[in-house]
Amino acid sequence: MHMNCLNRFRKRQAALAAAGFVAALLFSTPGSTQEPSSESAIAIVVHKDTQVENLSLEELRSIFLADQQFWPDRTRIILLVRAPQSDERTFVLNSIYQMDESQFRQYWIAKMFRAEVPRGPKIVFSTDMTLELVLAIPGSISFMRANEVTDQVRVVRVDGKLPNEPGYPLK
Amino acid sequence: MCSLAAQPASAQHDMQMAGNDLSEPEFNVMGFGDISYISRDGSDSDGFAIGQAVAHLSASLGHSFGVFGEFSLTARDSEYTIEAERLIVKYEFSDLLKLSAGRYHTPIGYWNSAFHHGAWLQTTVSRPEMVKFGSQIVPFHFVGALVEGNLPVDKLGLTYMAGFGNGRHTNIARAGDAGDINGENAWMFQLNTSPTNIYGFKAGIGYYQDVVSPTAEPEVDEQTLSAYVAWAKEAPEIIVEYINSTHELATDSSVSGDVEAWYAQFAWRFAGTNRQWKPYARYERNRIDDTDPLLGDLGLDYDGAILGVRWDFNPYAALKAEYRNEEFDSNGRENNFRLQVSFVLAKL
Repeated sequence: MHMNCLNRFRKRQAALAAAGFVAALLFSTPGSTQEPSSESAIAIVVHKDTQVENLSLEELRSIFLADQQFWPDRTRIILLVRAPQSDERTFVLNSIYQMDESQFRQYWIAKMFRAEVPRGPKIVFSTDMTLELVLAIPGSISFMRANEVTDQVRVVRVDGKLPNEPGYPLK
Repeated sequence: MCSLAAQPASAQHDMQMAGNDLSEPEFNVMGFGDISYISRDGSDSDGFAIGQAVAHLSASLGHSFGVFGEFSLTARDSEYTIEAERLIVKYEFSDLLKLSAGRYHTPIGYWNSAFHHGAWLQTTVSRPEMVKFGSQIVPFHFVGALVEGNLPVDKLGLTYMAGFGNGRHTNIARAGDAGDINGENAWMFQLNTSPTNIYGFKAGIGYYQDVVSPTAEPEVDEQTLSAYVAWAKEAPEIIVEYINSTHELATDSSVSGDVEAWYAQFAWRFAGTNRQWKPYARYERNRIDDTDPLLGDLGLDYDGAILGVRWDFNPYAALKAEYRNEEFDSNGRENNFRLQVSFVLAKL
């Protein structure tokens, strides 16, 4: 009697585990689901020598999508993007790309596969690394929390606004 | 140019970690593949099919020069064939002017230059009939040179592409890989727009012209007009593509015929926790005049309707289930069911 109950209990547990596994497969979402942080605006930063003061949000999107690949002085634009799971990346994917992680990945794979870009965006792993690489690479553009920007890089206005001004679109 | 020697050691380390050592060439490798199960009405050949295994190689050799290659391994009845689907060298002067040469998928319309041989990239199991692999309706490959770029027209997002090269081979499903076969080069032009204030929308028109010399047939003048509209957002995804070709006997213009081919595809990716699911539908229709001196005898009329669902169960793989109802000129109507696992091997 006791063994029968135990077997039934084990079968029920196995059935529940299997159902849970199937449900997890069906309803899990890939990538991060974190909300963008509102602690600080996201600043768009470029290499000091890049002669650009202001970009419209549409121009910024065109650069981040690699539809525009050169600055007006014909320097190639090098896009640096934070690695997955960072709040800054999640915010930029939502606000500029209007994509989630899987769409972002598919977009760049397709872009490279169509031979429209020679390489995907460069992945950076921290704000310090972003600062160092934007300082080091002519033509580079990236993003970071506005309160972490240093004078090593140039902050670009977006739609005519700096991150600390009212109406800045990347907040 | 960036001088690595002038950078602090930590910056050099970070640049190497991010693959930004600009003094060195950069290589990228991607792979695509698919495996399908196909069941047809009254067919004895139901079963599994290995799709194409595709390798994509790209090399960035400095800021402006790059090389791209796409190589496929295709399962045949009793062998595998290897083909250089695309091999392109490209020099980019600016966004306005990019020059390239090599073997391309002819940039006619949308599908042929959007998805190439990557089954994972396309929503559906297979390509529309008019641009299927080995299609005779559109010149599938193009060997030659292209000039392309962005036109500086504010907010319209205009891009252009103009090409000049070898036309179709005597086997009209193939390009003249070893040179133009009749001394009459093909040329093409395409204009696309992606308005910056309608994010995800793309439309284009194109023109292609060639003189074709099919095996044991007289020469035929070929002119193709194409147009497409694509809404690339996932909810919805809409692709509508149309081509109209005129084929005229080079020695007798009274012998001519038209080709009309189009398809309309609609898909919708669910939101939230069900976003891995994307149901889709497509209707397509190809009509070729019997008097067409190039394609009229080939029995290429076609009507097809498909209904399917794509499940992105993994960030790099998808399972697609598709029901098709098709009517071929030569084989009549048939129903079939396809199940496909497609995947990409990429590091991004």
